[in-house]
Amino acid sequence: MRASKIAFAALAATLAVPAVAQDAYVVGITSALTGPPASTYAPAMEALQIYIDRVNAAGGVNGKQIKLVILDDSAEPSKATANVKRLLTQDNAVLLVNASLSSTYAPIVGEAKRAEVPLLFASGVCPREVYPPADPLQFCTTAYAATYDSRGALTFVKETSKQPVQLGLAAMAIPLSRAEMDFAEQQAPSFGMRVVDKEVIPPPTPDYTPFATKLKEAGANWVFSWAPWVTQVRTLEALRRLDWAGDYITWAHLESEGELVRLKDGKLFVIGANSLFQDNLPIHREIADAAKKANAKYPAQQMTEGWIAGMVIEAALKGAGWPTTPAKVQASMQNLKVDLKGLRGGQIEWTKDNHFRTKQYYRVYRWDSAKSVIVVAKDWYSYDVK
Amino acid sequence: MQLGVNIIVLAAIYALIACGYVLIYRVSRVLNLAHGELMMLGSYLLLATASTFTGHPLVAIAVALVLSLCVGALVYLFLMRKMAGEMVLAAVLTTIALGILLRGVMVIVWSAQQQYPGQALGVVNPAIALPGGARISTMAALLVLATAVIYGALFAFLRFSRWGVRMRAAGQNPLLAAQRGINLHAIYALAWGLSTLTGSIAGMLISLDSGLTGTMVLIGLKAFPAALVGGLDSLVGALFGALIVAAAEISLIHYVDPLLSDVVPFLVLIVMLIIRPWGLFGTREELDRV
Repeated sequence: MRASKIAFAALAATLAVPAVAQDAYVVGITSALTGPPASTYAPAMEALQIYIDRVNAAGGVNGKQIKLVILDDSAEPSKATANVKRLLTQDNAVLLVNASLSSTYAPIVGEAKRAEVPLLFASGVCPREVYPPADPLQFCTTAYAATYDSRGALTFVKETSKQPVQLGLAAMAIPLSRAEMDFAEQQAPSFGMRVVDKEVIPPPTPDYTPFATKLKEAGANWVFSWAPWVTQVRTLEALRRLDWAGDYITWAHLESEGELVRLKDGKLFVIGANSLFQDNLPIHREIADAAKKANAKYPAQQMTEGWIAGMVIEAALKGAGWPTTPAKVQASMQNLKVDLKGLRGGQIEWTKDNHFRTKQYYRVYRWDSAKSVIVVAKDWYSYDVK
Repeated sequence: MQLGVNIIVLAAIYALIACGYVLIYRVSRVLNLAHGELMMLGSYLLLATASTFTGHPLVAIAVALVLSLCVGALVYLFLMRKMAGEMVLAAVLTTIALGILLRGVMVIVWSAQQQYPGQALGVVNPAIALPGGARISTMAALLVLATAVIYGALFAFLRFSRWGVRMRAAGQNPLLAAQRGINLHAIYALAWGLSTLTGSIAGMLISLDSGLTGTMVLIGLKAFPAALVGGLDSLVGALFGALIVAAAEISLIHYVDPLLSDVVPFLVLIVMLIIRPWGLFGTREELDRV
């Protein structure tokens, strides 16, 4: 019931007396723990809490505990702004973390800049400002990366397809998803593909069949979708119900591993930057054990993003020393290398100009019907982030 | 042909949800803005009963339906009853607060992740081939059937049963109805129970068809224009309103731009408010009273 604990802790934190003297590293988090998009963020925050609890149990960082103050913003910008103001003025956070919708970014960035406190985006899409030349205060650990993801997906489609590709695109009607599908539409001809249809689907859609009907009738033999998982998977399922037999490639969100098993669709490919637990690496077993021990509400397979954020926060605070200030944490983050132990294709490396990562790695997975397991469809390949 | 099937399925979804708005408004003049949340709660109740009565899907569904009916009645008895005699606006605001509370509670109890009640129940959802090359999922077909049956049952209930006649009387003139010995609180509790039940059936069938996430709340709100277009105090109106909104939405998705699907219900609503503000089958008197 850790998610329940986080929710109650968020409530308790709201009512808590302001901290006066700090004897711990205070990390302030605003996250969409409730609201429609919570499924993307809540598992990551539960994982982050578990990771930091383990660090604290092992003695903390530089002999000091890490105190996470997690506040729920329900993915609403006004709540996120109020949260950040509280985290900065009452909790004296030395590091802010945003795990919420991109619509919360602008007001939070403004507050962080005014207070000159570094801001880490974890599990939400990375803003443009973390790519070179990076904003000094903004950092990001999230796996997905606008434009790089489309290039990675189209590269795979080109290599895999044995016939001319008639590409259908499916986006959710939110700015980031639409922009990514617009980018894929522009890039597709240079990969030798013809875009036959692009569907932009509103989030509160009771039936995806009308959109799937158009994709099918347009003659798509491949469909690429980069959107929240609900749009990706429901579009696919609607297509299959219409007897569409094409190939479908989509972003490997937190839910993808469980969904590959549920759907057992040999023509569904998920492309992502995180390794799946089917790889059974030592780090995967470590996360699974920790989740089990903590009686986690979310499956361990959905915890990679939060775990990576925890590893990075631990490393950043270690580099900042004690006593610390936001400036010391920022300086530490600007020169950071974190070995992710196989959770991704390579390490997270931040420099003064690059607060995303120097290489973006991808791997493609699919369901193997013959073996009844998830298999790697294409092993790690990378793009330099410049 | 597929276009026609898509329209019927969407119209059935909207109609089934909209009748919940109509039932409560018709009897008590309250707009229940927590209807989407109550609909989602019904789906989560099915998820809970599915894991409790493993291997007995019919029992799980039956228990979930009974629980939904009880939840609606309890919401009235423990919350909305206190609003009796207060301004209608206060009652509407109370439903908004109820919705916020329910959303939070559901995340705490069932988490935010996508759930599949169908998987928990062990039911499959194969597509059915229809004449003309069209296809429909089994759950969508069931939803269309359920909508027809529920509307038929509601018409019969309101027209022929003693409690149905009482419900109509309470809606038309509560003071006179009370003076004639009708227990208004029992009638209102029944209306809330039936409204939550029909909404829950919609939520259950949608979640059996395509899964359960927090966005279901928004689907509940999207059906609201269908009720308004038809006339908030008319069940027949809700049916026609749902059909009009669904036809406009699917046609624009298919022939113009899929992005319009989000705004179409509200465009249709605006047009209706300009031409006939009380809705297709709504009564003018009720609107004047509002």
